[in-house]
This record gives sequence, structure tokens and C-alpha cells, in this order.
Amino acid sequence: MTAFTLLRRLRGTIRTRGFEQQMDAELRSHLEFEIEERIRRGASPVEARAAALRTFGSLAQVKDECRDSWGIRTLDALWQDLRYAARNLRKYPSYTALVLLTLALGIGANTAIFSIVHAVLLRALPYASGDRLIEVRQRQPLAGNTEMGLSAKEIEDYRQQTASLDALVEYHLMGFNLLDGAGASRVQTGVVSYNFFDVIGVTPLLGRTFRADDDRKDAPAVLILSYAYWQNALGGDPHVIGRVFHMNDKVHTVVGVLPPVPQYPENNDVYMPVSACPFRSSAMMSEDRTMRMVSAIGRLRPGVGVERARSDLSVVARRMASAYPDAYPAAAGFDVTALTVKDELTKRARPTLLALLATTAFVLLLVCANVANLTIARLVGRARELALRTALGAERGRIARQLLTESTLLSLAGGALGVLLAWLARGLLVAFAARFTPRAGEIAIDGTVLLFAGIVSILTGLAFGLAPAFSRKRDRLDGLRDGPRAIAAPGLRARNALIVAQVAISFVLLIGAGLMVRSFINLARVDTGFTADHVLTMRVSLDFVKYDSEEKRRAFFRPFLDAIERQPGVRSAALSQSFPLDQSTPQWFNTTFSVAGHPALNGQPLPRADFKLASPSYFQTIGMTLLRGRWFTDADDERALAAVVNLSFARHHFGGTDPIGQRVSPDDGKHWITIVGIVNDVKQYGLATKPSDELYVPFVLGGPLSATVLVRTAGDPMASVGAVQAALRGVDPRQPLSEIETLEQVRTSALASPRLTAVLIALFAIVAVVITAAGIAGVVSFSVNQRTTEIGVRMALGATRSAVVGMIVRQGLAPVVAGLAVGAASAALLTRLASTLLFAVEPTDPSTFAAVLGVLTFVAFVACAAPARRAAAIDPMQALRAE
Amino acid sequence: MKNPKSDLLQGTLDLLILRTLASGDMHGWGIAQRLQQVSQDVLQVNQGSLYPALYRLEQQGWISSSWGDSENNRRAKFYQLTRSGRKQLAEETATWERVATAVARVLQQA
Repeated sequence: MTAFTLLRRLRGTIRTRGFEQQMDAELRSHLEFEIEERIRRGASPVEARAAALRTFGSLAQVKDECRDSWGIRTLDALWQDLRYAARNLRKYPSYTALVLLTLALGIGANTAIFSIVHAVLLRALPYASGDRLIEVRQRQPLAGNTEMGLSAKEIEDYRQQTASLDALVEYHLMGFNLLDGAGASRVQTGVVSYNFFDVIGVTPLLGRTFRADDDRKDAPAVLILSYAYWQNALGGDPHVIGRVFHMNDKVHTVVGVLPPVPQYPENNDVYMPVSACPFRSSAMMSEDRTMRMVSAIGRLRPGVGVERARSDLSVVARRMASAYPDAYPAAAGFDVTALTVKDELTKRARPTLLALLATTAFVLLLVCANVANLTIARLVGRARELALRTALGAERGRIARQLLTESTLLSLAGGALGVLLAWLARGLLVAFAARFTPRAGEIAIDGTVLLFAGIVSILTGLAFGLAPAFSRKRDRLDGLRDGPRAIAAPGLRARNALIVAQVAISFVLLIGAGLMVRSFINLARVDTGFTADHVLTMRVSLDFVKYDSEEKRRAFFRPFLDAIERQPGVRSAALSQSFPLDQSTPQWFNTTFSVAGHPALNGQPLPRADFKLASPSYFQTIGMTLLRGRWFTDADDERALAAVVNLSFARHHFGGTDPIGQRVSPDDGKHWITIVGIVNDVKQYGLATKPSDELYVPFVLGGPLSATVLVRTAGDPMASVGAVQAALRGVDPRQPLSEIETLEQVRTSALASPRLTAVLIALFAIVAVVITAAGIAGVVSFSVNQRTTEIGVRMALGATRSAVVGMIVRQGLAPVVAGLAVGAASAALLTRLASTLLFAVEPTDPSTFAAVLGVLTFVAFVACAAPARRAAAIDPMQALRAE
Repeated sequence: MKNPKSDLLQGTLDLLILRTLASGDMHGWGIAQRLQQVSQDVLQVNQGSLYPALYRLEQQGWISSSWGDSENNRRAKFYQLTRSGRKQLAEETATWERVATAVARVLQQA
């Protein structure tokens, strides 16, 4: 009982020094008055003083009593209430344990979810200027180009002409090979303006950020490491500053290490300034206004809102469009917008987190109703005790306060257990949230979360304590007069109302769980269009400098692919730019094209499609189906360009006509590609996303720097990693393999977050139903106990056992039916809010509603049945005799 | 609570203090003097009861206190009756009179 010791100490400190001094002064002045009075009556000062002290008695004792009476009304009464409450709770261990368990579940679930919401949605970004950061986005809406990057020239214009921004920095992502003594590794590299970290407001953990002179042409190449890369790849080496690495045939020196903050726009291993990136520093990138390959992050001037920035940016965009009409074709449309970085970092997490928060709030409401129900039942048992206390003179307020003290004590203890549960689950919480947002690392049970848990606990205690405290206002003295049975009726009415609430809440939760589970099943059953089993995927990214021409790249990839195919256990192998459900491919890899014989009408935008590079064996390797025509082969080279399109492409761009034999050109007629086959659609960008229009061209034609290697294996795909590595070593030992996973893993991880959400909500719903069933059974069996005599009389007068069972069940189900109605109506309103979380199921899906109705009715029926059977077993003679 | 007898005496003292303060603000010593005077030396209030009673009454909100100067310019803590103190005084006086009458009746007739 450390809480009590704490209170005892509190009592001591509240009697402040001010109190002691005032008491001292007051008692001394009393003595002085007394002495003066005695002198006035003729005593000598010495005699007067002695006499006054004598009549005063022990000063210490008087002070002690004063101290006691000062504290007695407030803290002593609380102290008494608490001791009494604790004693009472110990007397009812099963009640106490049950209440503590449900409260711990309810408050723990809320605390856990709140800790995520707090870290991810509520708290300011952990950057010094976090709330002023925006991302600038351009689109060509009429051309269906919704996420197009920015070019270096455009960033320059925005930077110089947008008054509401005090800085605009650029970012793009590259994969480079990093060489050090140990070998080659692939690093994801953020290429940023020199002042990038200063603008977003990140102070390096070690070393410095980039400086303007790092960004000069021919400046020595420098690197900043992310915290995770520094820890994982370099073992957190404290002397890493100044260490050198080889990248792109240049020596790079480490100048800084970032602190462990979430990185925006994405988590990278290392950062380099724009000048060090061989791609970005090329003349084409810096001069061509349409090379829109980078992102732009701006910082609002203090006090300026994002709307101002949007309209300022639009003005600049219109100015650019009229100055360079070639770069901004009117037919494609062109506009610019700005989004706050905070929203961008959390937009995927928001709907799921809010749905979970609502779920746990409902669970807590249900817990309150259930505990209130248990408490009323227990109060009926305590009716005599409370009535006795009233009769002995306990004030009305004091008894209500006593009951509230008990419920608050319980809820605080339950809350403490709940926080413990949330703390135990913190690893799971972070893993869960990491699927939605890079801010997951910030999740912690900190002061704010504890405060939240404390407030929720106290409110919970008040909520379930108040109902019983007030329900007993009138009948307090009746308890003595008529025995416990007289107060059964008001208690039962309150308990039935609570059952209505519990059933309604369970209904809403079950509907939520049902919809999430159905939507997950729909997602899992989606026809992905490919066969995921026995396929290994990995990425090979060539050294930018060593393989600086298409010929050199082809000279690498062709023998590499042949070498893999020769390895034992490999059925087929393919190269491509990406694979279905690949998380790391950007979505805006689509291009405009023209169709031979169908010149674009004046002012009409050209059609767009995803152009994908794939080696001829790609389709068979991942199990795609040829619908018409033929695959392309190695014979379809530069002299006779051939392509395979997917069904969506054929439908959208050729409608009724046969696309086979048609020719399309991605470069205004410089090259024409003949469509030779149609394949089925695959889920490229996500299970819930509609397939995009795709056109596959032979891999060798593109000569890209990096490729996905896909290998269909006879046995366990992961067992073939070594074979592929051996093949790679034979061609170029300095090339690393990265992102090794099986296609099956890719598919599973695409389902992981909807599965987790569905499982969590379903768990909460099951807890809710169990609690509700226990509540119903409790109320019905309570009423059977109260009515033993009445039932005995009925049976003595000729009621059959089945009539008694019918009556009990009917009366037990009455509040359930009301609860089902309320629940169905609320669920129909509430689920609409969650429609963004659902896939291929309506928020008011009738079969889900019917199923939930059935389940709850059945559960309620079962909960009523056992006490009803007990009622039927009552022996009328015994029941009457007991009276 | 431990000793019902002292509770009864305490209640009576509370009533007497409230009544005394009803005729004007007073410091602790003044209250004691006044009680002694008015009761013609029958009621002699011990400081060990007076001050705890004053503190208790202040905690209950029936009286409030402030520091001021006495008639012979000595700093002293003065007590005054609050609104709820007046109400309490009225109620307790009524109860007291009823009980006193009842007790008197019992003593005369039993």
C-alpha cells in the first residue's frame, strides 16, 4: 500500500511552513494578551507570565491538536475513505479481480493506441522547423500525370519568386555502390541541396551538415550518414568523421552523422550534396526544364500558412508556363500545389489510427458499462451495510464519496495495470505503426501518455462510480426496513439500461471487425495476375561510372542472365526494371506515346502508359498468361522493336480494335514499336489499386543501370541466393546484390498491415462480446435470485417450467433487442466514416449486419439460458418456505 | 470519532464560538474572555480545545480569519463568521434549543 504512505507524507507537506508560523504567532499573541490582562489586574510581570504559561498548559500538545483539526476535514477524510475502500475491495476479491482485469484491458488498449496517435499524429515533427515544412508538387492533370517531379530550373524559379517561402531545397533518391576495405555494398543515397538539413532543422549528432562550398563544382566529395546506417553498417564508430569511402569512382569523406530522427521523404543510408551526384550534376539535368526528377521541400516564412504558399507557387507556375510554352503544353494542363510535410508523413497512418482509437474508445465505454453493472450488483449485496451507515449518521455526500473513492481507487489501479500492458506491448506497437509511417520510432510511453492514462482512469472511475452512487439516492434507508430485496427493482432498471448500451457498443465493434476482416479476405483473394511461389527477387545496380554506356551495360547483363540460367535449381531467370507489388518503384514511371495512324488531335493530350523493360523470360518466370499474339524474343531487337501490352492497355487505348500489329511511339515517331501480344493485368502498385496501362519492351533495349533479377527455382527460392551470387561473381566481382526477397514475401508483406488492423479490431470486438455476454448472464441470474419467491409462487400456482424459462429468457432478451436496434443504427452511421479503410465491401454490407445480428442474438440467448434453467429448477416448496 | 463524549463537548464548544462571533469579529483570546464573561465564569475554555476548534471551524468554512491590530495595537488573528457559518449557527441553535427543552422536560417529569 505505497499509495497510502504517499498520502500520509502528502498530509505532512500540505501543512506548510506558513501554517506553522501563523499558528505560532497566534498562540504567542494569546499568551501576550493573557499576560497583559494579569498585569492590568495587578500582578507583577514575572508572576503574570508564569501564571499565563501555567493556565495555557502544554504548548506542544495544543499545537498538535491544532494541526490535527486543520487536516481532519480534507485529507483525513480522504485517507479514511481510501483505507475503507481498500478494505472493502479486499473483502470482495473476485469482484475486484474481475473489475481490475476489464479496466486494465480497456485502459491499456486506449493507452497503447493513444501512444501511437500521440507520437505519430499529434506531436510536432522532431525537426526544428517541422511545422513550417511543405512539399511542392507539380501535376499535369489533363495528361493524367498526377505526381510529376520538379526540374532544377523550376526549383530555381520557385526559390527566387515565392515570397511566402524563406527556403526551398531539393531532394532525390539514388542507389550507389559504396566500396570500402570490406567490399561493395549498395547504399540508398539522398541527394540534397547543401542547406537541406539546416532548412528542415536537423542538427547532426556528429560532425557537421553540408556547406555552400561542398556544393561547388569540383568540390571534394562529402557524405553524411544516417543514424541507422552508422549504427548497423559501421557499428556506431565514434571516429567515423573523416573516414573515406569510394563511390562512383570518387573518394567521399564522411563529414557528419544524423541523429535518430525519422527521415523525410524516405529513410536513406547516406546523403550527398547535389554536386557529388553524377546524375544530377549532368548538364541535361541542370539545364532541361522538363527533366523533372527531383522533389522540392520548402520552409514557410514564420506566420505564413500553407494556403498562402499554394497561391504564391501557382502565380510562379503560371508565369513559367507562359514564358516556356514548350515545356508546359497547354493540352496537358499544369499546376502546382503544396502539402505540409507533417501530413505527408502520416497520411497513410491517419485513417487506420483513428479507426483503432475509436475502437478502443468504444471498448472503454463498454468496460465502464460492465463495471457499473458489476458495481450495482455488489451494492445490492451491500445494501444493509450502507443503510446502517446512513442510519448511524453518515452524510449523504459522504456515502456517495465513499463509493466514488472505491471506484476511483479501482480505476487507478486498473489504469496502472493497463499502462503496464501497453508498456509490455510497446515493441509490437512500434512494429505495427512502422508499416504506416516513418514516425513509428518516436512512439514511447512518455509523460503525456501517462497523463492521458491517468485522466482516462479517473474519468472511467467517475463514469462507472457515479451511476451506482446516484441510483441509490432514494432507497438508502429502505435497505434496513425491508431487507435487500426491496431495492432490487431500481438496480435492475439501471442494469438493463447498461445492457442496452453494452449490446449496442458490441454491435458497432463487431460490425467494424466484420467489415475489416471481410475487406482483408477480399484483399487476400485478389487475383494478382502472377504466381508468387518459388520466385526469388533481387536487385543489381551497376556502378554509374564504370558502366557509363549502354553497350557496357548490355555486355554485363546478357552474360549475367545466361550464367544464372546455367545454375542448378534454376528453372528460369529474367531481368526487369521492377516486379509486381514492388514497394521501391516510384509510381510515376509513365510516359506519353502516340499511336501510328492516329495522330493526336490538336490540343488533345497524348495518351500515357507505363513503359516497362523486361527480358523475354519475365512473363513465364512470374507466371503471367499470354491472352493473344506472342511473347517477344531475343530476336526482337533494335531492327524490329516489339512490345507486349497488358489487357488494360489494350482496352483503354484500342477499345474494340485489335491492338496486335499496331505500332506505338514513345518519342514522337522517332522509333515505332509493334505490339505483338497481350498479357493479363497484374497488381503492380498494390493489391487494392486498379491495374495501370502497361507496355513491356525488351530489357536490352533500355540498357538501364539497375535491374531486378527474378529467378524461378525448383526448390526453396532462398536456397538459390548463393547460386545467383556465384553467377554475379563470375561476371563482375565488385557488384553487390541487394533487396533479396521472395515474391511470396513481397505478397505477404503487402497484406501485413490490413491483416494486423483486422486482427486488432477483431480482438477488441471479441473481448467486447465476451464482456457483454457475461454482463447479460449476470443481470439475468441476478434477477432470478431476486425473484426466487415470486417464481416459486408462480410455479405453485401452476406455471410450467417451460413457461418460467420463457419468461426469464424473454425478459432477459428485452434489453438485448433494444441494444441491437440502437447498435445497428449507430453502426450504419459510423462505418461510413471508415469507408477508406475498406476494400470491395460496402460500409453497410447487409450480410455483415445480418451475421452480427445473428451472432449477438445467439450469444445473448446462451447467456440467458443458464440462469433461466436455474429458475426452472427452483423447488416451489423450498422457495416459499425460505420466505 | 474515537470518543463520543468529546464529540458532544466539541459540538457544544463549536456552537458557543459561532454564537460569540455573531456579535463581532474577535481574536482567540477575546473569544475565551467573552465566553467566560458572559457565562459568569462558569465556562472556562481551555486553549487546547479553543484553537483546534477554531481551526476546525475554519476548515469547514464556517468562520474565516485575517490578521489585524487589537485595540491595544497588538497583532492578532481575528475570526469572523461566514455566511454558511451563520446558517450553521441558526441550525445548531435550533437543535440545541430542542434538545435542551427535551432534556429539561425529561428532568422535570420522569
